[in-house]
Amino acid sequence: MTRLTAMSDPALHIVDLAKRYPTGVEALKGVSIDIEPGEFYGLLGPNGAGKSTLIHCTTGLAQPTGGSIEVFGHDAIHDYGKARQAVGLAPQEINLDHFLTAEETLDFHAGYFGMPKRARRERTEELLETFSLTAKAGDRTRTLSGGMKRRLILARALMHRPRLLILDEPTAGVDIELRLELWHYVQKINQEGTTILLTTHYLEEAEQLCSKIAFIADGQIAAEGTSDNLAARFGVANLEDAYLALVGRNELSRSKIEDLAL
Amino acid sequence: MSSAQIRFITLWRREVSRFMKIKKQTLGGPLLETFLYITVFGAALGSRIKQLHGIEYILFVIPGLIMMAWATNSFTNNSSSILQQKFQGAIHDQLSSPASPLELLLAFSLGGFVRGMLVAVITFCAAALLVDLPVENIAVLIPSLFLVGFFFSQLGVLIGVRAEQFDDVAFAQTFILQPLIFLGGVFYSAALLPQPFQTLTHFNPIYYMISLVRYGFVGYSEVSIPLSLLALTAATAALFAFNLRLFSQGYKLRA
Repeated sequence: MTRLTAMSDPALHIVDLAKRYPTGVEALKGVSIDIEPGEFYGLLGPNGAGKSTLIHCTTGLAQPTGGSIEVFGHDAIHDYGKARQAVGLAPQEINLDHFLTAEETLDFHAGYFGMPKRARRERTEELLETFSLTAKAGDRTRTLSGGMKRRLILARALMHRPRLLILDEPTAGVDIELRLELWHYVQKINQEGTTILLTTHYLEEAEQLCSKIAFIADGQIAAEGTSDNLAARFGVANLEDAYLALVGRNELSRSKIEDLAL
Repeated sequence: MSSAQIRFITLWRREVSRFMKIKKQTLGGPLLETFLYITVFGAALGSRIKQLHGIEYILFVIPGLIMMAWATNSFTNNSSSILQQKFQGAIHDQLSSPASPLELLLAFSLGGFVRGMLVAVITFCAAALLVDLPVENIAVLIPSLFLVGFFFSQLGVLIGVRAEQFDDVAFAQTFILQPLIFLGGVFYSAALLPQPFQTLTHFNPIYYMISLVRYGFVGYSEVSIPLSLLALTAATAALFAFNLRLFSQGYKLRA
């Protein structure tokens, strides 16, 4: 049944999401989160906690074994057309097609989302310019540097003007300049109204960018709130110490090490 | 043009652009191979054999070569394209789009179909320049070639989706497809084979495909045309339905 999207529908509404892989591994054990429109939401957790699985379930790359996902009120699992249209994904791995040029990568992606030719051309030019890739427009993707590939992946995710942008560790392995450039850009589009779901291992990144943060561990949401809420919840001074408390590694706390040094 | 039409055309265009970018390998190579067959089996061997069932040997061989070109190119294109995209992870871009399983399957299938058709049409045109190639039954020829092309496109998709390494694709092509095609009577008439090979040939589905295409060109057949056409249609439809089920389940495409 189709229905009109209410203004109050969350950008992402996940209820009791479960994912058990055929190997028997339970990657998600009943995750529920709500991300409000316009929010910059951070998802933090150790490797293997379920961050990427949650993203893959939301974007159709993995099939949930339980629960529901809605994107702006649209079912993202079964009748997924409208939900997928609203989502842009910049994945963790560089998954560019080696046969395509930078320009074709953007053009084909927008075509998959039904954008007409003229709109595709204009948007491609705009994003190549924004991400300083215009000079590389006609180059095959395999010839681009690591930083350029990372920028191209973000540009590709933005081509069809998604209302929910999912960034899966977008700054992993990039240099400081590019990291700051990406931060500025995603902050800008967030201020313009795009909702953002970010997974990262850099706590500073989450603190700088996210208005709300969730800790995920062992396939479950362990805590959720602002950076200060989380610190208070774990009875520590900052987000990093809260994270260390979550993963049971309090001894690594930099404030404790500094205290000992004194 | 609707959003869905733009999406489907783009998905298909991506498949065509892949093989057009490596034309030497995807079009040039198969064309050269076909011409070598025509030269060796048609010109050299043909000067000795002269006629088979009252048909000039070269005319007996060319229909099978055209069918083989369409079949192998459709198969190779789709199996390689899907496996490469799976390896690179690039297929996630299509899989996370709003495209339905049917749109994805058709677009992947039609990439190889078009490549096979291009090689087959160029082979036909070149052969027509060399010899006086008849077309006796166009009403059988066109549907037969289209069905063969679509069947092998589907087979290529199936192998590409199932494959986990390039060895899997090479195995299917070298140890299953190639022997079946060669033993299906491209270069000879099954009626000339001694027993039990003559009977065994009748269990090879490709024998019927070659017979259909040969009948379309030269009007000669050793098998029932309506029955063969019906069986080929049923096999193609069954394979398509099976692939659509795999795509809907996300088999080896979605985790």
